[in-house]
Amino acid sequence: MILLDDVHKTFGSVHAVRGVTFEVPPGQIVGLLGPNGAGKTTTIRMSVGYFMPDRGRVVIDGHDTRESPEAARSRIGYMPEATPLYPEMRVADYLDFRGRLFAMDRSSRREATARVMDRCDLTQVAHRRIGVLSKGFRQRVGLAAALLHDPPVLVLDEPTNGLDPAQIREVRGLVKELAAKRTMLISSHILSEVERLCDRLIVVSGGRVRGDGTPERLAAAASQEREYVLEARFDTDESARGFEAAVASLSGVASCSSSEPLDGAWRRFRVSARADGADLRESLAAAARARDIPVRELHALTPSLERAFHALADAGEEANP
Amino acid sequence: MSACLALARREFGSYLRQPAGWIIIALYLLLAGIVFCAGVLVPGRPATLREFFALSGWLLLPVAPAISMRLVAEELRSGTIEQLLTAPLSAWALVMGKYLGAMLFLGAMLLPTLVFPAVLWAHASPAPAPGPVVAGYLCLVLLGASYVALGLLASCCTSNATLAFMTTLFVILALLFAPAAAELAPESLRPLIARLSPAPRILDFARGIIDTANVAFFAIVSCVLVVASVAVMEVRRWR
Repeated sequence: MILLDDVHKTFGSVHAVRGVTFEVPPGQIVGLLGPNGAGKTTTIRMSVGYFMPDRGRVVIDGHDTRESPEAARSRIGYMPEATPLYPEMRVADYLDFRGRLFAMDRSSRREATARVMDRCDLTQVAHRRIGVLSKGFRQRVGLAAALLHDPPVLVLDEPTNGLDPAQIREVRGLVKELAAKRTMLISSHILSEVERLCDRLIVVSGGRVRGDGTPERLAAAASQEREYVLEARFDTDESARGFEAAVASLSGVASCSSSEPLDGAWRRFRVSARADGADLRESLAAAARARDIPVRELHALTPSLERAFHALADAGEEANP
Repeated sequence: MSACLALARREFGSYLRQPAGWIIIALYLLLAGIVFCAGVLVPGRPATLREFFALSGWLLLPVAPAISMRLVAEELRSGTIEQLLTAPLSAWALVMGKYLGAMLFLGAMLLPTLVFPAVLWAHASPAPAPGPVVAGYLCLVLLGASYVALGLLASCCTSNATLAFMTTLFVILALLFAPAAAELAPESLRPLIARLSPAPRILDFARGIIDTANVAFFAIVSCVLVVASVAVMEVRRWR
């Protein structure tokens, strides 16, 4: 379990984190999102004990990072962004060194090193120097090091950064597999990545938590206007303009715009509903039917996480310019 | 303790895995060899390593800062410090591990110089007394420990290894020149400034005198600098 309770951090005159509070229960994968300078990395670094908060508390698996820092840190597996490693060391030696730092005895180190190398597909590069490995392999070495001591809490900063699509799929599968019995906090800039990977998202901006919930809930909450797409066929421009005006006058419609003819006489209409308005699909279909207009598509646009992210991030920037 | 030893082991191995470590050893042995050949192996003079040990303050001058400059600064620059500070080891274990690793390397660097007394014992008549040789090597270790501790502190304060090297070098130079500089200082400050310098203490060791005051001086200086390094690392976590 990770608990951040009213955590603050200031660097000189910059108040980087302003009262961040959240809890990550066991078995949950939580994504931490935010634009650059939002306080995301500082929040992550306080979560893993790299920084101490100026105010508030961080509790890792029952251990306060201020009162028992080493016990708290021993329960975390952390993979920092850009995966800094010692280039002159060989992969197996590096993992052995990490095991020693976590006070693992010789047999546990040997067993754990073999396990994580197998899991992260590193066996073929076990005796190669880290400095000569590709970025993808280095990323896997970082992940293997984070998993070595079988920690109950895993914090991954940009875990798929620099990986090719196949490797991203592998890491995603591995993360899902690992999440079953662990608490996981993942920071990423790739929205589609966290949307697929995480059960819950926390959006940080301006040093504060701006949104917290499932990807679907965040997206729905952030999109104040629902949008609909309708494709219909018109014989003349006049009939298209007439339909556009009729739709715009419908109750609950905020605006309606049509495209140029797509193929043949088909046109696409984009209809925005007013906030808190009812579902417009039925009345749009009825309007087309009343004019005997053939319709080949009518659907409501799914609220996107990207839109939600931008709305929440902008709100944070406006609050802390 | 195991984490501290793991760090010392990694640090020592890191010197040997990189060309820089071998260049440092080669540089020191070259300087030491020149001093031995030109100052010690002089026909007709008594067989003694006094000249070699008397110059140890200068021989270690370019070498000790080179050993210590990357200890923490490189970790800060490359970001690997994040891996260390998020592992369950205290600032003490981190700093002591780094210090111990550097001291092991210093020991490995000094080891080949044992060939100098061995040559004298094998070929000189009369052979040099073992006491001054022991005192001289004690001086090398204590002086090296102080220099490396000073470099460790400089390395903890910056992510720029070159800056750490230059800072250490200039502070050591200032301390070596302190007796000369004391002449320019007010009368009341002269004894204090002179006492800060390792130069007269090195000469005592070179003469074969093991004065507990001198041993304590180097030990205390090293301890204070290591404690200051621990404090700097602790502050990094809290600031």
